[in-house]
Amino acid sequence: MHAQLLQPAFNDPVLDAQRGFRAALKALAGPGSIQSLHASPSLDGLASATYGLCLALLDADTPLWLAPSFDTPVIRANLAFHCGCPITANRKDARFALLAADDLTDLSGFDHGNDRYPDQSCTLLVQLPDLSGGAGLAWRGPGIEAEHCVALPVADEFWREREQRNGFPRGLDVFFSVGHEVIGLPRSTRVIRTHQEPV
Amino acid sequence: MNPVPHERQRWIGVLARARRSELQPHEAALRDIEYQLIRAPEIGMTLVRGRMGGNGAPFNVGEMSVTRCVVRLADGRTGYSYLAGRDKVHAELAALADAHLQGAQQRHWLDQVITPLANAQAERRAQKEAETAATKVEFFTLVRGEN
Repeated sequence: MHAQLLQPAFNDPVLDAQRGFRAALKALAGPGSIQSLHASPSLDGLASATYGLCLALLDADTPLWLAPSFDTPVIRANLAFHCGCPITANRKDARFALLAADDLTDLSGFDHGNDRYPDQSCTLLVQLPDLSGGAGLAWRGPGIEAEHCVALPVADEFWREREQRNGFPRGLDVFFSVGHEVIGLPRSTRVIRTHQEPV
Repeated sequence: MNPVPHERQRWIGVLARARRSELQPHEAALRDIEYQLIRAPEIGMTLVRGRMGGNGAPFNVGEMSVTRCVVRLADGRTGYSYLAGRDKVHAELAALADAHLQGAQQRHWLDQVITPLANAQAERRAQKEAETAATKVEFFTLVRGEN
């Protein structure tokens, strides 16, 4: 066993998990707005917000796919202990995936759900170095009154990959997290370059 | 350093079956060490399953409340406890005792805590069995006049 690697998680498991879940809901309901998540500690390479989302969302019914950069003994041991989620090497089986900025150029293999059960798609938890500093893009769609300008530092290829896999109602929902902050990007959000051409 | 598994099973079982009042005299000694709660004592439910006659198909007996706790001492030893009921203090003390028992002073803790608890439990069990045995009824059938 990896008992030496274990670390404490939420101080108040019930209320902190509910706060994390609430922040995740608000992030997807208002795409592009920044939600803060202070409850959880950080873990190895996982920022506080990323780990908080994991603790709130993962359980025994949600197989998780780990990007190679997050596949460390400490992360594996703590997720197995606190969430009890199975960790899968096969993207197709994953309900959630934990990715870093470098992994966004290839989103192949993740489950997009199907027309009858679009909710069965894989949700991506992406940890970024920063929430701004990239190309400024306009986000439009449900939950946004007019237009939200968000400048996530992600590669252009990510937007192309996302567009290819977005056959509504199927698609991928994404959470971007940095430090204590989270931004949600549901499949329903349209992302447009500021000079009016779709990405 | 690593205790034999069945030995650890035995003391975890003894700690889980102990009464809180029996562990409390050791509370000061158990807590006299630097430790952190990896999983603070928490109460949950578990499904109890049984088999008719011990070997039939499994069926659900019902749910019972359990309390569990995991602690880690400063030197990295971790202690676990799972016990029936809703007693968080008991769960924390039992986890601490499990952690202490995996260390160099195992003999001391076995003699001080586990052996007296195991003896008390054996005594309670023997007494209960004696009480039960006294109520045993032997049924027998009268010979029917068929011959």
